[in-house]
Amino acid sequence: MTWKRLSSEIEAHIEEKALDLIESGMPERDAWQKARREFGNATALTESSREVWGWTWLERLWQDIVYARRILTKSVGFTGIAVLSLALGVGANCAMFSLADTMLLRPLPVPRSGDVLSAGFISPQATAQTLRMSYPDYRDLREQSRSFSELAAFNLARVRFAKQLDAPVELRVGAVASGNFFAAMQVQPRLGRFFRPDEDEVPGRDAVMVLSHAFWEQQFGTDPSVLGRKVRVDGIDFTIVGVLAEEFTGADQWVRPDFYLPMMMSPRLGGGIQNPITRRDLRTFNVKGRLKAGVTLEQARAEAAVIGAALAKEYPETNRNYAVEIRSELQQRVEEGGRVPIVLAMMLVLAVAVLLVACANVAGLLTSRASARAREMSLRLAIGAGRGRLVRQLLTESMILALLGGLCGVAVGYGGVQIMKQIQVVADVPVALSFRLDERVLLYSLVAAMGSVFLFGLLPAMRTTRADLTGALRMGNSRSISQSGRPRLWTRNMLVVGQVALSMVLLTVATVMYLTFRRDLLAGPGFRADHVLMTTLDPSLVNYSDAQTRNLYKDLPERARTIPGVRSAALASGVPGGFTFESMAVVPENYEVTEGQRSLNIMGTRIDKNYFATLRVPIVQGRGFAVTDDANSRLVAVVNETAAEQYWPGQNPIGKRTRLGDAGSPWLEIIGVAKTGKYRFLMERPTPFLYIPFAQHPKAQMVLLLESAGDPASLAAPLRDIMRDLDPDLPTFGTRTLQQTFETGAVDPNLLIVQMSAAMGSMGVLLALSGLYGLIAFSVSTRRREIGIRMAVGAHKNNVLGMVLRQGLVLAGTGTVVGLFLSAGTARLLSAAFPSYEYSVVVYLIVVPAAFGVTMLAAFLPALRAAQVNPVLALRQD
Amino acid sequence: MTTNDRSLFPGALEMMILQTLRREPLHGYALAQIIKSNSGDLLQVEEGSLYPALQRMLKAGWVAADWGVSRRGRKVRIYKITAAGRKQLERKVSSFEQMLEGIARAMKAVRS
Repeated sequence: MTWKRLSSEIEAHIEEKALDLIESGMPERDAWQKARREFGNATALTESSREVWGWTWLERLWQDIVYARRILTKSVGFTGIAVLSLALGVGANCAMFSLADTMLLRPLPVPRSGDVLSAGFISPQATAQTLRMSYPDYRDLREQSRSFSELAAFNLARVRFAKQLDAPVELRVGAVASGNFFAAMQVQPRLGRFFRPDEDEVPGRDAVMVLSHAFWEQQFGTDPSVLGRKVRVDGIDFTIVGVLAEEFTGADQWVRPDFYLPMMMSPRLGGGIQNPITRRDLRTFNVKGRLKAGVTLEQARAEAAVIGAALAKEYPETNRNYAVEIRSELQQRVEEGGRVPIVLAMMLVLAVAVLLVACANVAGLLTSRASARAREMSLRLAIGAGRGRLVRQLLTESMILALLGGLCGVAVGYGGVQIMKQIQVVADVPVALSFRLDERVLLYSLVAAMGSVFLFGLLPAMRTTRADLTGALRMGNSRSISQSGRPRLWTRNMLVVGQVALSMVLLTVATVMYLTFRRDLLAGPGFRADHVLMTTLDPSLVNYSDAQTRNLYKDLPERARTIPGVRSAALASGVPGGFTFESMAVVPENYEVTEGQRSLNIMGTRIDKNYFATLRVPIVQGRGFAVTDDANSRLVAVVNETAAEQYWPGQNPIGKRTRLGDAGSPWLEIIGVAKTGKYRFLMERPTPFLYIPFAQHPKAQMVLLLESAGDPASLAAPLRDIMRDLDPDLPTFGTRTLQQTFETGAVDPNLLIVQMSAAMGSMGVLLALSGLYGLIAFSVSTRRREIGIRMAVGAHKNNVLGMVLRQGLVLAGTGTVVGLFLSAGTARLLSAAFPSYEYSVVVYLIVVPAAFGVTMLAAFLPALRAAQVNPVLALRQD
Repeated sequence: MTTNDRSLFPGALEMMILQTLRREPLHGYALAQIIKSNSGDLLQVEEGSLYPALQRMLKAGWVAADWGVSRRGRKVRIYKITAAGRKQLERKVSSFEQMLEGIARAMKAVRS
């Protein structure tokens, strides 16, 4: 039933009635009036007749869309600013969500990833500890627990890999995994099969391998004939039996092993020096699993507690005081994440603030538009349109804006993600930070856009369709002296004040971050990063005995010093900027350890006697290590200033002692205090640090540091020659300058955060600027008549200028004052999480003038325009 | 539709239309006239409200529409009752009469 037909049918009815009335003697005009009146609202009735057939909503939607498109393209300025504002707001959230996703939130690439839990044994002394388990404990837990459908163990394994029996050997990082690992992860092979249940039972028997998809691509060019091929790993021939699907990159958030080997093969790997699967005290395995259907986390935890207690009783030497802890993947990441979750949370909050400012813009724009269209709305109401219809149509316009804004926002977010991809991770394991815009980010962005526009579009829509007909129709669009004009400006004023205040908060955070970064960058890292070349060695990979290792590390620095251009050489187990420092347990003498803990954790490294000199780390008290501090002399240690202050406040730390390990482990004597420097991140707060002599605590994997007279990279080739002379089989890896390591590992991540907060600060100010501009421009446009009158009765141009600027001043000023309070509060919150940042008055000296000045600027252009108003034209227009 | 003491309960309009069309097919205006005159102005019906009702009944299959010519020679749509429509009318009338009887009895009981 088309509109036309129904409409003409109704017309015919009315016509017939009118004609009848005319025939009976009524004058023509009255007859038609009576006919129409007694019929009722023809348009509405036609509509309800059509509605019966049920397709009208679709037609209406299409009508609304066409109409909206026309309206939006007519006022390009309005549409442009609204879409741009939304784009910035949504884009910021998109980018920050991507960041949070990559760093923390992305679920494991397995089906029903929310069900995967991590389990480990931790001792009560540990603060945030990674969950690890020894293999015998894992075995026992798996056998005794009834809560898990599958419980699997795995660990990274750095091995020597050769594609063919005579191919060159590379160092690669794979994983050893229990036979049920793939079943626990619920993944399917892309090619071939996974481990059979019997292949993980007898130690050392079944040399089978499953490749990761990336490795298969890289090494074998996705050749399907790899199945059955033999490769050599650590001197053992392994048969490739399967290839993983592309999506499964591993059960770890960061590291992507190249291949998987059965757990039972691990005793034969790495030269068989340690037997990790028999030692109960070697807690190195990750254990992950899924609960059985119907079992809750609490039940699993309770059962695990019982099992843990039983094990502690049965094996007191290794398991005393160790308890089982089960965490979800997210909990695990937050626990292990250090400061990362807090920083991410801060970034997300900033992004939401930007979105709020953007929404305020859009709300202001919509409200201004709505009141400008009051006349149109009243007319339509008067001729019979339903209020719901009008509101629906306004909302359709808003939704189209939201859609456009959301899409542009995704584009902005994509740009942000591209910038974030610049972060590299300097590590010797295959870590991949894969920033990508996945569907969850897109969904999040679109929801943000739609939600905000719906929220801010509804209010103006409801307002303008109020049946205040005569007022709107009579006054037209100018609200110069009407009372109903003023209250409406109030909301927009509030919005702009809020925008200015919020953008000040954003600016404050950005300024604090920037000042801190600058301060720490200028202060320097506390050691010499330039002119140092580093390389890492791990002789345990080639089955060196303890004696051989000792000799290697005695010869190597001496040999290295013979290279022309080398000023000095040193050894260390970890370097700043990497992930290589160790977490050591200490019990300082006479220190009050908190209840329940048995020792403190401190970051530390093992160094030789040349370390302090080579890296130019100043010793402020006592001395560094000497050749006399060897395996036969008393145990010594050097702490940094922060550690000394923390453990022996106000006292002389020289001569004090600390245990290394928990109660019962040997005492170390403090013989020197080093200046506190930067260890993990440029912007970290002063952190306690411990140096112990490598000679007294040997380790297989060490870093060789060479101080160069000239370009450190030029030492790489001569160093390689020396290594080849010493032992051609001994691989070195991670050869780069210390500067590179420190910059990519410690500086760049902080720099990225600073840049992101600066970007959001600028966005906030930009949006507030446009909000203020829009409001003042709108106000001027509605006051043209008033301005015209003023000028006509003698006001000068400058008076008008001043009048408008005053309006801007009030808004900017109020916003700045409110913003100041908010900023101070924000700074306090920030300092709770990051106490070492720069919070001096300088921050406010920068932020307040910036915010105020920029927003006042926004009032200038409309003010100038107002002063140009030609009174004659203004008064003539209606 | 105005709601006052003389307004209709739902379904009443359809009932009256069906009853009127049972005698002869009519177009919209004529239908309105006849219903008005039959009820002797005791009921208030907005003329236009016939049309949505007619559409509903068209959809339900109780009436069918065809093009014809009015008394004045204007092209109009003429509605006639269908077999289903007649059945519907019977059902409606009987349930209406039952309702009336029930109310009458209840009122009598109260009064006495």
